[in-house]
Amino acid sequence: MIDYQWTSTFIGVLIAGLILFLVRRDHLHGPYAVWWLFVAATVVVLGAFPELFDKVAPFFGVAYPPILAVVLGMGLLLLKVLTMDLERSRQERKLRRLVQRLAVLEASLEKVQPIQHAQGEGEEEVSSRRLE
Amino acid sequence: MNVVVLIPAHNEAATIGSIVGAVKRHLACEVVVVDDASTDRTAEIARSAGATVLSLSCNLGAWGATQAGIRYALKAGYKQVLTMDADGQHLPEAFPSLLVALASGEADVVIGACTQRGSHARQLAWIYFRKLTGLRIEDLTSGFRAYNEAAMAVLASPEATLLDYQDVGVLLLLRHARLRIKEVPVPMRERDHGSSRVFPSWLIVGKYMLQTSILCLAKVGMNGKRQRAYSDD
Repeated sequence: MIDYQWTSTFIGVLIAGLILFLVRRDHLHGPYAVWWLFVAATVVVLGAFPELFDKVAPFFGVAYPPILAVVLGMGLLLLKVLTMDLERSRQERKLRRLVQRLAVLEASLEKVQPIQHAQGEGEEEVSSRRLE
Repeated sequence: MNVVVLIPAHNEAATIGSIVGAVKRHLACEVVVVDDASTDRTAEIARSAGATVLSLSCNLGAWGATQAGIRYALKAGYKQVLTMDADGQHLPEAFPSLLVALASGEADVVIGACTQRGSHARQLAWIYFRKLTGLRIEDLTSGFRAYNEAAMAVLASPEATLLDYQDVGVLLLLRHARLRIKEVPVPMRERDHGSSRVFPSWLIVGKYMLQTSILCLAKVGMNGKRQRAYSDD
């Protein structure tokens, strides 16, 4: 049976490798990769030196050290999900404003160059009226 | 007259033509129909009725469409906008009373209010939101409004972009900007076609109540001094 430390170190290295692979293949945007590499590095360090938790846990009043790792992990996950929603909101705002802007630009373009819409008569008159 | 009429429309082909016509008869001004990604002939009909059509490439909801119109109006140099729904509830005959109140300078935003309309549930929702926000406005959801340039600038800002409904959130934003809001009683008709976009089903009503309540709670105590955190676009 191999040592538990090797298992966790291996998992950390695997995650780091996967992240680099995804960045290399252009599947993962740079700023996100930084977060994930940080996660991978933490897993490697804590995997290699699990006794770090044994030293830190009593300081925080945690009797069973591995629980500190679980709590920290969950906290970081929550933080990550929250920042994802923040980013989504930012993108939503951007998208909505772009859609609006596009509509405004199209309308002003139509005033300069009346587009023939497929409805026959009346349209030209309407377009020229809008130009006035 | 430096005013433009904005009509956000989503699949309102049945009514949009006559509404644009009626507005044009009452007010010699540009009519802008913001086509909120309709799947029917709304845009085409509005265009042939003589309206300028802003076509949104994806559905932004009534408020997103209205904001697009306001941004257009600002860009085109208009000083006032009138907004109305595309379902035939609002009567162009009432425009003068809104514009008079705006022109008198006593208010930056004039709301055409009709408190008699709506079910008991809607009345209850209004009372609830009035209590929650402290807004002294009878008709919170009316889309029949007139805005002056100051109000247009506030509503065109990125801060207003993530709002989903043209009611409490918009009014709170206007209040934070220290703009004066006034209500003018106007008559309204029953909708001709379709159902309300804000109150179509109980599930959506629930979602709306929850979302708006959170918005109200989150904005408690915010005054007009908050710095603008975003640049335009």
